[in-house]
Amino acid sequence: MGSSRSRMDDIPHAQQLIHETDFSAAHLLRLHQRFKLLDKYQTGELRPRDFGAIPALALNPIGDRIIGAFFSPGQETLDFPSFVRILAHFRPTDPNRSRDGTQQELANSRTRKLKFAFQLYDQDGDGKISRAELLQVLRAMLETQVVEEQLQSIAERAIQEADLDKDDAISFDEFRRSLEKVNIDHKMSIRFLK
Amino acid sequence: MPLRTGSAGFGRSLPERGLLLLVVLVVLEGFFLPHGAASSPDVSHKESLDNHREADVGHNFTKKAFPVLSLDYHHIQTPFEISLWVLLASLMKLGFHLIPRLSGIVPESCLLIVVGLLVGGLIKLAGEEVPPVLDSRLFFQCLLPPIILDAGYFLPIRPFMENLGTILMFAVVGTLWNAFFIGGLLYAVCQIQPANPSDLHQLELLPCLLFASIISAVDPVAVLAVFEEIHINELLHILVFGESLLNDAVTVVLYHLFEEYAGAGTVTVMDCFLGVISFLIVAVGGVLVGAIYGILSAFTSRFTSHTRVIEPLFVFVYSYMAYLSAEMFHLSGIMALIACGAVMRPYVEANISHKSHTTIKYFLKMWSSVSETLIFIFLGVATVDGPHSWNWTFVTVTVILCLVARVMGVVGLTFIINKFRIVKLTTKDQFIIAYGGLRGAIAFSLGFLLNKEHFPMREMFLTAIITVIFFTVFVQGMTIKPLVELLAVKKKQEAKRSINEEIHTQFLDHLLTGIEDICGHYGHHHWKDKLNRFNKKYVKKCLIAGERSKEPQLIAFYHKMEMKQAIELVASGGGVKLPSAMPSTVSMQNIQPKKPPIAKSAERALPQLTRGREEEIRNILRSNLQRTRQRLRSYNRHTLVVDPYEDGFNELLIKKQKMIDLEKKIKEMNNYLTVPAAPPDSPTMCRARLASGRNTDFKPAQQQKGNRICEDPQAYSMKPASGTVPSIQVDLASPQSPESVSVIDEFRRANREEDDQGLVMRPRHRPGGPNKKTEEEGDTAKDPQKLMRCLSDPGPSAEDDEDEDEPFLP
Repeated sequence: MGSSRSRMDDIPHAQQLIHETDFSAAHLLRLHQRFKLLDKYQTGELRPRDFGAIPALALNPIGDRIIGAFFSPGQETLDFPSFVRILAHFRPTDPNRSRDGTQQELANSRTRKLKFAFQLYDQDGDGKISRAELLQVLRAMLETQVVEEQLQSIAERAIQEADLDKDDAISFDEFRRSLEKVNIDHKMSIRFLK
Repeated sequence: MPLRTGSAGFGRSLPERGLLLLVVLVVLEGFFLPHGAASSPDVSHKESLDNHREADVGHNFTKKAFPVLSLDYHHIQTPFEISLWVLLASLMKLGFHLIPRLSGIVPESCLLIVVGLLVGGLIKLAGEEVPPVLDSRLFFQCLLPPIILDAGYFLPIRPFMENLGTILMFAVVGTLWNAFFIGGLLYAVCQIQPANPSDLHQLELLPCLLFASIISAVDPVAVLAVFEEIHINELLHILVFGESLLNDAVTVVLYHLFEEYAGAGTVTVMDCFLGVISFLIVAVGGVLVGAIYGILSAFTSRFTSHTRVIEPLFVFVYSYMAYLSAEMFHLSGIMALIACGAVMRPYVEANISHKSHTTIKYFLKMWSSVSETLIFIFLGVATVDGPHSWNWTFVTVTVILCLVARVMGVVGLTFIINKFRIVKLTTKDQFIIAYGGLRGAIAFSLGFLLNKEHFPMREMFLTAIITVIFFTVFVQGMTIKPLVELLAVKKKQEAKRSINEEIHTQFLDHLLTGIEDICGHYGHHHWKDKLNRFNKKYVKKCLIAGERSKEPQLIAFYHKMEMKQAIELVASGGGVKLPSAMPSTVSMQNIQPKKPPIAKSAERALPQLTRGREEEIRNILRSNLQRTRQRLRSYNRHTLVVDPYEDGFNELLIKKQKMIDLEKKIKEMNNYLTVPAAPPDSPTMCRARLASGRNTDFKPAQQQKGNRICEDPQAYSMKPASGTVPSIQVDLASPQSPESVSVIDEFRRANREEDDQGLVMRPRHRPGGPNKKTEEEGDTAKDPQKLMRCLSDPGPSAEDDEDEDEPFLP
């Protein structure tokens, strides 16, 4: 991976990160190595263009949205702790782990995972997926020449199915309900991050 | 006589009568078979002799009476007996489902074995020789392939691939463990008791291992039969079922290996090494052979658009040949068949017609169902047939060892596997997997194949195999259902996939692929994405005909959903709640009843029609369709009744697109464009009136509405208050209806005649602009009228006589 190997001392706030995100030390090291690899000019922070350099991501239809999700609105740079916190969403859920009432909800809980995905749809951050936003996503995913009316019908149908309070948009609750049957823990987890 | 007693019971309920009917049938079949087999050969033989003599000697012989009616069973014996067995199997299946109580408690497989036992017993009682029904060749070449093909073609690929690692572990490592554990311990047990030497002491290690390898494989037929009835959740089902399919490779290799070397007596390390290589070749080779035939089949289906009737045949024949080719090289035929079905399915389904798809589905289900039934019945018959050699020690030890080995294997493997799985297997899951390891007819057939000289203990083996099969099918098969209930194992979710799920699942796939790329981790999603890209870029172009090759998966899914809904709607008569959308280019619906006038305009869901109204609509439709059909016959422009879902589907989409464009143009010419004055008694109008739920007196819109554009009663627009646009839609007509014919053919004709002009409305020989209402109303009204008519009118009406000289579209 990276040309230089990280050590735990290189990583800022390592212990705090481990505690917060439940990554193991080995995983954190691996992520740090990856971070340094992406950070070509060794600035200690990542910029959108660093992500853009990943070739496979350019082919991804929602690649730009994913990159955008890493950067909080207004921010131009991404430091390592934020990088790790976002990736913590994709850890496999551990059913045996007991949760403290006082502790913050784990980053990789089902709700948090869904929330992350929801935010990728909801670009303007109003808490709802409007028809226009859904159409945008559909257009991006169905890259080939698709008739606009087909897209409209599909979007219409999707909203009809999911929209229970008839406000012509999909709220987070409705989003969650429509994915009840899908095993999110399985679908939104990377085994690497265990 | 049984019939007499049956008819005497007037007060008995249907199930009891069904049971009696069953018994009668069994008795009849039991009598007929041996009787037929035994008596006729003599008769026919004698007759042929007589005829011969007569022919030889000519007319000198004293003439016998000309045989007006003769019985020549021998002539048709084989096909007759086969048909009789198949008939028996099917009638049994019918019978069981007439008796709901029984089929609820006892799984079908058990009942069928019992029937087989009965029939075998009857044949034996009659003193005849039981036909060697479970002949290995018959089994492996005729009875097994349909079941496996059915399983492979309808294999749920996604869960299978996601759990492939687990399945392979269970199949390969689990079966190996079973075989060696059982074989070794069996040999050890046989060797104990040096005091009283029995037959068992003659049993060598290698025959023990061979026997163990036969008995250790989980049987797909039995698993399918039992699991089908318990509706367990998808994960467990695919784990056990996948294991039963993939362990065929292991079984084949072990079987051949031990069979070869049982004669020699020893197995060296070299042989083991060769065995491993052989396993790889058998497994990978089988899959390759299957995949090659699958691709060939997909490629062939690309060109079948003109000969739709034989499409299913390609699927069946290519698959069968894949199986036979694999068997020819002693590769794993089962894996070849699975690979063939799984590989060809997405491409074939994109190419073939809807009807062919239905045909394939039903033929496969029919054959596999009959095969399965026959296999179990034959198991019963073969049990009665013997030859048996019962040995208490051997048999009981075998049964116990099978159970123990299975449990230990599953527990141990799960412990290792869970380290690599995201969704772990719980104890309940493990129990079900262990308990679901049923043995079946494959084990018996393999045992049957053993050579008597090399294996003097063959009969003992067969007895033990049959005992294990009976034990697993009866005991485990009957108790698994209550156990599933008791343990509250998750059941299968019956609901269909919604479009939301589909969209979001794809979205999440892309998301995870992106995250994996960011992490630099080549995981599951990465490879799946790569495979999808490769598939889209190269493979689909080769194997799918026409424009469907570029169709994204989401669109295909959406098409399927709409189609299904449309069919449901027609079948249910229009009372179904449908989501309405804008005029969709995709959906070919709708005979959608409009809401009654009192309903709120904002509501999108359509309320139900009252029953009386439904009946009315149906009657009118029926009579009108008849009328239109008659009309069509007199005007033979259309030569072929085209299926609206099929050929020309894509052209239809293009034309629809043009229509939508045209609709936009119409929008612009809004002032003078009023509703076309279609003749009031045309069937389309009648239908429209009724369907629109308005009062049925037709007032020509021009009189009514003057300037304004009113809602076109002919348009079945889904958004009721979209107001000003007369939306153009295609009726969903039944396939025989001429509606569809006219639509498609119109477009074809338009295509031929006018290249790309589509449906252009040109004002006919009149000057002036759109403001001259009064003169133009008539003419321009006719244009949209023509437009409407060419969309929905079945054929010529009296008014069209004037247009016959011109091309239909101006």
